[in-house]
Amino acid sequence: MKFAWIPSLLFLVALTSCGPTEPAPLASDTPAAPVADETAEPVAEPAVDAPAESLTIGVMPKLVGIDFFNATERGAREAAKELGVELVYDGPVTNDVQQQVQMVETWLSKDYDAIAVAPNDPDAIAPVLEDARAKGSAVIAWDADAAASARDYFVSQCSPESVAHALMDLVAKNCGEDAKYIILTGSLTAANQNIWMGEMEKYRQAKYPAMTNLSETPKVSEEDQALATQVTTDILKAYPELDAIFAITTVALPGAAEALKNSDRREQVYLTGVSTPNVMREYIEQGVVKEFVLWDAVDLGYLTVHVAAAAAKGQMDPAQATFTAGRLGAVGVANNVVTLGAPIVFSKENIGKYDF
Amino acid sequence: MIKRMLATREFALFVLLILVFSGFSLFVDGFLDWPDLFRQSRYWAVMGMIAVPMTFIITTAGIDLSVGSIVALAGVVVGLLYGDAGWSIWSASAAAIFVGALAGAFNGGISSYLRVPPLVVTLATMALFRGLAMGLSRARSLGGLPQGFRWLSNGNVLGFLADANGQPYVPFSFAMMLLIFGAGWVLMRKSWVGRFTECVGENETAAVFAAIDVRWLKALLYTASGLACGVGALFHTALYATAKADTAVGLELEAIACVVVGGTRISGGRGSVTGTLLGLLIIGVLRHGLLMAGIRQQYVVIYVGILVIVAAVLNERIALRKGGVA
Repeated sequence: MKFAWIPSLLFLVALTSCGPTEPAPLASDTPAAPVADETAEPVAEPAVDAPAESLTIGVMPKLVGIDFFNATERGAREAAKELGVELVYDGPVTNDVQQQVQMVETWLSKDYDAIAVAPNDPDAIAPVLEDARAKGSAVIAWDADAAASARDYFVSQCSPESVAHALMDLVAKNCGEDAKYIILTGSLTAANQNIWMGEMEKYRQAKYPAMTNLSETPKVSEEDQALATQVTTDILKAYPELDAIFAITTVALPGAAEALKNSDRREQVYLTGVSTPNVMREYIEQGVVKEFVLWDAVDLGYLTVHVAAAAAKGQMDPAQATFTAGRLGAVGVANNVVTLGAPIVFSKENIGKYDF
Repeated sequence: MIKRMLATREFALFVLLILVFSGFSLFVDGFLDWPDLFRQSRYWAVMGMIAVPMTFIITTAGIDLSVGSIVALAGVVVGLLYGDAGWSIWSASAAAIFVGALAGAFNGGISSYLRVPPLVVTLATMALFRGLAMGLSRARSLGGLPQGFRWLSNGNVLGFLADANGQPYVPFSFAMMLLIFGAGWVLMRKSWVGRFTECVGENETAAVFAAIDVRWLKALLYTASGLACGVGALFHTALYATAKADTAVGLELEAIACVVVGGTRISGGRGSVTGTLLGLLIIGVLRHGLLMAGIRQQYVVIYVGILVIVAAVLNERIALRKGGVA
């Protein structure tokens, strides 16, 4: 009987302690916003064409707590501040689509004006996004696409062709047009990676027919850096004829670089792929990896919020071939896909300019 | 009599649920919206269906870690038989339930008759069934399921509870889960199954001497767990509209958390199906409420973890006060 009160007390504590943390994320990025909301609403800053009530936009990355999606958050915050919209940026702790679905379900209860999701699975996210559209939210997929019927717009980093071509060209330049290579991916269901691999194969057949993919099924690293290191060590042992490795997730590339750094084939095997500058900096400086490919993550988050806000206000015109997004200027739009631009090739020369 | 009821764990949990619920209702805008809350309950339904047999298993001091993998495997069976083999969706579903039960029987058979601890067996089959699902589906997402099947998790029942537009809002999946809880309660409290189960958990040797066929009982419970996973897999697949081998990861931990928060001791001996239901509702409400309050997902996980620890500690304390027999 006596003990019945203990959990209750504890949860009162838990509840009261979560009260104050609620405005904290808002307070940290837009210092004066919560106060301004209450007192100074009529003199709202971006008085140009903002509706009286400010928009709330939910942006969900594939997962939180990794450099890439921290950088997209910075861009998203920047755009939200510029546009005077309220931004909720939250995602699951692992790249799990079920958690994403449940979180979007909660967002439905909160009636956000726009919801932008980087889905971990294009089909599994679709039903809940369709519900969101039915409820009247503008729905954006970003970073990875959702089933086309489930979203209004897709904000794409760069076209899959441009990433695939950049990667293949790097290997052709460094290892010759008869290079033998292997691809290290995340999971076998990762949508972006599968599309890139398809494009890489197409481009190989068209432009570099002498190149050989030594393993038709890509090697899998499951977004786990330690596993990527282990798998790469095995690859280096199992394929003595290997010239190049593509590690095409942000986690797989540093994992593979770690394996290559400690391998006696460090000079013979050319490693490239897709990752973020911060995790690759030391490998670039040590020369383990000479070049790798990515888009600007900050700009991607920035563009996503611009598109989401415009879609929520009904200002997106699918007939237009370009969309003007703040400091990015005009970006291309086709078939409801907004594309950020061409990928950046990072190397010793330019990596110092980027922090994500 | 009333005093005794008030002192039970279930009552403490009930008070906790009411407190958490009213706390969120008072302080979090938009939380107290019944249709919304019931929409959320679709995401707890599968966890609950699996937590019922899990309660029995934990009562015997066993564990089933393979439930998430069985759900994935049975889901893949539906996707493959319907999508690739061209079966009708309902015969594919029946096959999935059968595969689930078979997987459970495999767990139960190995652990009971070959005398391998269930922790070891189900740890192994957790990987084995997941691997099978991966291999069978060749790691594809299997979608394109018919609307009628999707209704399992989209459909609402109980028309007398209608929202403002006259639409029912109690999900069919949640109602099914409650039925399974009801059946579990009857079995645990009103039948020999529950008596034998608690007896085995209390003192297995004594149970053997009392002429209880312990091995058969355990095998039966693991089979029931697999069966529940097979049924749960249908609702799970309908909910996410796709069958995938890497789905329902961590479901075993969620189901076990419901059972433990619900007051069933992990060391066996006493099981409470009502407690498990309350545990499920508390975890579900807490998670949804914290997210609604704007707490980031990464911190929500922490709060749920704290809840499980607090509940486990309290359970041990209460058990000790009662002289260790509970």
